[in-house]
Amino acid sequence: MKKKYLILIGSLLALAVVLGGCATGLTASSWPGITADAEYAYIAGGPHVYAVNLQTGVEVWRFPAKAATATPFFATPKITPDGQLIVGSFDHKLYSLNPQTGTENWRFELAKDRWIAGVLVSEDTIYAANADYSLYAVTFAGKSKWAAPFKADQAIWGSPVTDGTNVYFGTLGRKVYAVNVQTGKQTWAQSVDGAILGSPVVGPKNTLYVGTYGGALITLNALNGEILHQVSTSSWIWSGPTQDGTNLYVGDAGGKFYAIPLTEGGQAWTKDLNGTIIGSPIVNNSTIIVGTESGNIYFMDNTGENMRPVAVPGIINATPCLAGELVLVAPTNGDNLLVALDQSGSIKWSFTPAK
Amino acid sequence: MWETIIVNPFTNVLLLIYKLIGGNFGIAIILFTILIRLVTHPLMASQIKSSAKMTEFQQSKQWQDIQKKHKGDKEKLAQEQMKLYKELGISPFASCLPSLVQIPLIFGLYQSIMRALAATPSQLLILTRTVYPFFHLSDLVPLNSQFLWMNLGQPERVYMFGVGVPLLAIVVAITTYVQSKVTMPASPNPNDQGAMMNKMMALYMPLLLGYFALTFASGLSIYFITGNLIGIAQYALLGKVNWRALIPGYKPGTIPPARNK
Repeated sequence: MKKKYLILIGSLLALAVVLGGCATGLTASSWPGITADAEYAYIAGGPHVYAVNLQTGVEVWRFPAKAATATPFFATPKITPDGQLIVGSFDHKLYSLNPQTGTENWRFELAKDRWIAGVLVSEDTIYAANADYSLYAVTFAGKSKWAAPFKADQAIWGSPVTDGTNVYFGTLGRKVYAVNVQTGKQTWAQSVDGAILGSPVVGPKNTLYVGTYGGALITLNALNGEILHQVSTSSWIWSGPTQDGTNLYVGDAGGKFYAIPLTEGGQAWTKDLNGTIIGSPIVNNSTIIVGTESGNIYFMDNTGENMRPVAVPGIINATPCLAGELVLVAPTNGDNLLVALDQSGSIKWSFTPAK
Repeated sequence: MWETIIVNPFTNVLLLIYKLIGGNFGIAIILFTILIRLVTHPLMASQIKSSAKMTEFQQSKQWQDIQKKHKGDKEKLAQEQMKLYKELGISPFASCLPSLVQIPLIFGLYQSIMRALAATPSQLLILTRTVYPFFHLSDLVPLNSQFLWMNLGQPERVYMFGVGVPLLAIVVAITTYVQSKVTMPASPNPNDQGAMMNKMMALYMPLLLGYFALTFASGLSIYFITGNLIGIAQYALLGKVNWRALIPGYKPGTIPPARNK
């Protein structure tokens, strides 16, 4: 009799441990965000933000010095014109750090949910979109700029973009918003066919492009939100598209990579890549670079020719980052947190944080 | 294996219910709990019967005589006990098994709730790969995580004068306690080991589940509360609820035993 109750109590305790572990694991679930300046790469990689020397691949500092499970960082860090590194955490706080030393300048604590999106930095303002459905305008001193944050219909996971007049962003509630940069008031809102998980792209002639979880690339009129046209993709689009002035580039979950002319619509070319595409592509002169979940980074010309995959151990969900001549890649589930490739795709160095 | 057998089907059933009822995740959890309880009802009924048999056994003259006879010989006593179990058709684990079955269900449900709510990019990515092909997930995302005053993906607090009161955790602890008390088999024997263990469980379980409710997503608390209420209802249907056990100072054996069906 005693034995069976001991089994039961033991099982319940085991359940407590398992659930506890599960909860901790679930809160820290995304992929890293990377940015770089002339000296360092900055990576929001879970329990810390790391600064890594671009020449050597050696860690310069980490923030916070001691890991806290409740403070994971995954939002892409951004650097302000006055030299602050801005990064949001899953602990609902937005931090300003000194990029040279990693010391904290200030923290913005008004948000009520996770910072999943990286911030947008303009000449004098930080536009920060939070999963609490709000867009905050923050001064470089860490104070609110608008009387109240702009409240959207749902969580915002993609970084906002701006054309100088409005800030544009999409929500999980399948809406695209334009908000006036000065007043924080809505200019327009437009419903689309699926949740928007990534960033929009501002195009020429007052156009705005968004990719949706419903599997479409949508062109909107940036002046009034009118849907101009829509291209269906083979599967859902996670991160937003990228443009190089001629084409718009975007990948989908089916591993299909699209180049779409900015002015005419239709498709310039498509490529079938090996694996789901989660991160946005990046453009380096006439080279397009994109990663896939199969652990490949693809380099290709902007014509879709000369495609060469480079295998990087791990899953590539994070958008790569250009740092001078280097392409920085942050694999998930691999041995390294950050891998630096040169233009030929050779690994220059890799960074694994010391425990 | 765990994913395929428990988490994926649970998540899909939850999403199906959510879709059918028009997008209320709290109601979906309640309906899902009722479904789970219906499916595991035969086990519960068997647990109730086994507990009753076990109580009967503990109080039987035959067992008390054996205890007296082999007082100093634990090994012999255990042998005789097993022999008697066999003779009377009692399985010592039968009353414990249904409770153990609940554990993977709780764990699976917790994972399913968190997965379905998909509050982070990785969770949404996993959810995308969890749903069965007949779902058009983009029509469901994002799930409405609000139910009454709660965000089902977060631990619940009601703010009163600036203080966060874990109302749901308190309700979980109370309903667990009530369920344990009113469904506890009555034993007039103060030396009955089983009765002592039951009392211990009646104390520890509310604390443990209350702690879970305090710490984890409030969707899990909805499951606990619904499960407790249904548990009481199941016992009531089988005529095994003893409401007088809630009266302070109540001693088993001072009232007539609950009717048997």
